[in-house]
Amino acid sequence: MSDIVIAASQFGKRYARHDAVRDLSLTIRRGELYGLIGPDGAGKSSFMKAVAGVLSFDSGTLEVFGSRIDSERSAEQVKGRIGLMPQGLGQNLYGDLSVEENIDFFASLRQVPAEVARERKEQLLATTRLAAFRSRPMKKLSGGMKQKLGLVCTLIHAPDLIILDEPTTGVDPVSRRDFWAILAELVASRGLTALVSTAYMDEASRFSRMSLMHEGQVLAEGPPEAILARVPGAIVQCQAVPQIEALQRLSGRFAQCEALGPTLRIFARDVSGETARAEVSQMLAGLAIERLDVLEPELEDVFVALMAEQGRLEKPQLDAPLAAPRDEDTSEFAIEARALTRVFGDFVAVGDVSFQVRPGEIFGLLGANGAGKTTAIKMLTGILPPSGGAGRVAGADMKKAGALIKSRIGYMSQAFSLYLDLTVTENIRLYAGLYGLSREETRNRLEWIIGMAGLAGHEGDLAATLPMGLRQRLALGCALVHRPRVVFLDEPTSGVDPLGRRAFWEILFHLSRVEGVAMLVTTHYMSEAEHCDHLALMFAGRVVADDTPAGMKQAVIAEAGELFEVSGGDVLALVPELRESGFDSVSPYGKKLHVLTRDPQRLGEVVHARLPAARIEARPMAMEDVFVHKVTQLEAAQRKGGT
Amino acid sequence: MIWQRVFAMAHKEWREIVRDRLFFSLAFVVPALLMVLFGYGLSLDVENIPFAVVDQDHSAASREYAWRFIGSRYFQFRGYSESEREAGQQLASGQIRVALVIPPQFGRTLGRGQAAQVATLVDGTFPSRAMTTKGYVTAISTAFTLQSLSARVAAQSGASVEVVQKALQPVTLETRYLYNQSVSSIWSLAPKLIMVILMLSPPFLTALGVVREKENGSIFNIYASNMSRGEFLVGKLMPYVLISTINILVLWLLATVLYQVPFKGSFLFFLPATLVYVLCTTGIGLVVSVLVRTQVAAMIVTMIVTMIPAVLYSGLIIPIVSLGSGASIVAHLMPAMYYTDIVVGCFLKGVGIESVWRPLLVLTGFAVVLFMLGYAGFSKRPST
Repeated sequence: MSDIVIAASQFGKRYARHDAVRDLSLTIRRGELYGLIGPDGAGKSSFMKAVAGVLSFDSGTLEVFGSRIDSERSAEQVKGRIGLMPQGLGQNLYGDLSVEENIDFFASLRQVPAEVARERKEQLLATTRLAAFRSRPMKKLSGGMKQKLGLVCTLIHAPDLIILDEPTTGVDPVSRRDFWAILAELVASRGLTALVSTAYMDEASRFSRMSLMHEGQVLAEGPPEAILARVPGAIVQCQAVPQIEALQRLSGRFAQCEALGPTLRIFARDVSGETARAEVSQMLAGLAIERLDVLEPELEDVFVALMAEQGRLEKPQLDAPLAAPRDEDTSEFAIEARALTRVFGDFVAVGDVSFQVRPGEIFGLLGANGAGKTTAIKMLTGILPPSGGAGRVAGADMKKAGALIKSRIGYMSQAFSLYLDLTVTENIRLYAGLYGLSREETRNRLEWIIGMAGLAGHEGDLAATLPMGLRQRLALGCALVHRPRVVFLDEPTSGVDPLGRRAFWEILFHLSRVEGVAMLVTTHYMSEAEHCDHLALMFAGRVVADDTPAGMKQAVIAEAGELFEVSGGDVLALVPELRESGFDSVSPYGKKLHVLTRDPQRLGEVVHARLPAARIEARPMAMEDVFVHKVTQLEAAQRKGGT
Repeated sequence: MIWQRVFAMAHKEWREIVRDRLFFSLAFVVPALLMVLFGYGLSLDVENIPFAVVDQDHSAASREYAWRFIGSRYFQFRGYSESEREAGQQLASGQIRVALVIPPQFGRTLGRGQAAQVATLVDGTFPSRAMTTKGYVTAISTAFTLQSLSARVAAQSGASVEVVQKALQPVTLETRYLYNQSVSSIWSLAPKLIMVILMLSPPFLTALGVVREKENGSIFNIYASNMSRGEFLVGKLMPYVLISTINILVLWLLATVLYQVPFKGSFLFFLPATLVYVLCTTGIGLVVSVLVRTQVAAMIVTMIVTMIPAVLYSGLIIPIVSLGSGASIVAHLMPAMYYTDIVVGCFLKGVGIESVWRPLLVLTGFAVVLFMLGYAGFSKRPST
């Protein structure tokens, strides 16, 4: 029997108005952990559903386990060997049923004999560490636990192929790593084949092979290393003063040049690291270069490069002045929270939170769902009265001058707060009207927003028909219509593709550096945390770390040591042994391991004793490593505290 | 059909309904509540009509005439009004719905054996109630006229009042109402309410139950498994039919105990016949659930396709024979009308299958067709 599990050839799926997938051809072999990576609307879900036999398609052929899928009847024949976990956090589970009842239902649905089901259930509950929660209703589980339960339910009939549609979207980084570790373990130990999609570019290294998708097409296919190799070049990260001057000089030469907080990140195509370093240094001659590192490109850089090849890079127009002149408030801080507290009954949603944001600063509020980020923002914007503490926003006391604050700030919510049945122009005019702008001002701002957001040609389109990236920038434009000095952005980039995110951050950067607007951003993309000048990490309603991104990384290094990546051979099998040998911070990362340690020599000894060929390399720490380390530590402390 | 899967589905569904507060109340509380609210609120009996009298005569005769109304159970006396103007204001503000204006010289005119005129002002905003009111006024006036006439003739001729009365009324109507002896509207209403409620509740539950799975994506568990369409539908609908069966009993008890409606037919016929009707309305919910994607849409569509036929084309308010020809055709295409025949027959007429086999057959046909449509429209490999 052939070991080809999925074979698609020129697969195409069309919905009423648009092509979801065009000309997709790929082959997946037994035992592979195959990834589909791409932003929302890339066509990942449509293809996965077709493979699972739950969606018909229009063109091309699709073979699963050697049988052609072309009708409901033919799809039925392979369904017994497939497990599907659709998109959405626990959406396919039953909220009112307990963990165990959910699993039992799936077992009966799949006709697993009672004895076998019981044994398998216990095993899977143990692997996913859900055994302690077996009688808890599904709806009361955390996001990460829901996803693990979804995985157990998908595996209860021991399928040969599992299809997981964005299993980590909306899950905090700690649970995400946990999920990938469990998945990698299961795929390895059971000889499973897995087809998994994700919108997080930084998860690419988890896969053995993958397709990079965008708008229904495959941009690149192959092992992650091969895709990275398709666009050779080097990343240069530098800190130069003045930053805006450096950015202007570099962006003339390099198409991919962006600001991450105080750092600039440049993708130098087709040159070696040393050449890139020399070229950048030369171009920055005369400026104070504080730091300059050369790194390897990541998948997101490659994605953007591939899109740039197709001429689809988006450049916002940012010439006209954006915000009001700076004279009206002279306070040192644009946002200041002092011991802010909010209590709901017995539950402390936000406790004793203090931080300051200066004009022109991008401040990031990080934290898992339920950490209190949104509650804090609501108090500062005057929507929710605090139970204690004080705050000043844009020069006004948030307790006394709620209305004044609202007229001085811009707020962009997670849902983008647009009226989807209004056109672009109508939305902007509506916001202009709400803030009482004059006719003259409205015309100016309308023009500016259209230019800034790249909406020219879309003025008469309904907001509902815009792609996510444009919609997001329209929402930003509406939040900026009255030239606020302070802007609050609540998860502004969820669901937006890397190009859109890049253009978005470019605007934010310009606003902060050139116009001096203060910004408070919450995000769950750890890679985006790097864009912020300053970060506050929230955990269980409290700020547990408050520093620059670089400072946070330094603190973790001082506490737990440098980050090392272990690769080559079956390194995943080493996890228990490493933990026993006293390496507390070990986490699987694709086929590799990430270990934080101050004793790399001993790490080498332990690893090489078992796998002489394994490589151990030092890696620059990412924000995600910081978050995972911090939260794991705090959770351990909380458990010890007996709460 | 693999029963293990069917029962797993049914068991899961049952637990979800019982644990979800909204579904639970929709299933068990709402039907009984509707029965009570509609039963008390929709009474078509016209009694205790508030009225006032403008007595411009102040004679014994005018007082006696007014007393005929004051003493009647159909009217409720709200006092004398000073003038026609005042009575008009009372009518306008809704304090009274009828005003009797007795002209000056009323007693004297009658005494002379001449005809006197009484003006009756009736609030006509609800035509059917106004017509009924007019009927009561006419009847009381006629009785008064007849009595005063008989008294006069008796006084002149020397014969007794009874004899004269009989002579003056050669034809007397002896009306006996069959099936609803006291013409109490609740007797006819309660059985029809069972029809209305069983037209609303099962499709709502079914459509929401199926669409909920579509909306949140758990339907993919079914699509992705080997469970057949038939197994899914049977397992999914089983709890809803069971709930509706419980509701049949609850509604029947409310009708017979709370509203004291006599049940003359056979319960052993009523129950299975009603079950056929429930299957039929459940089928409506199933067809709706196949057509829509969201719970909101399911609710609106179900509302439209069930509420209107149940109220307008079922014989609830207007008898089918009184409908225009177009409306009558519509009524015949809806299941509600057929069940009305069965439920009214069972309660008030005490008839069984020998008289209502035809509507029962039609309902069975409806149920079969609706389920076939639902089955055909449900695809495990849809195109969107």
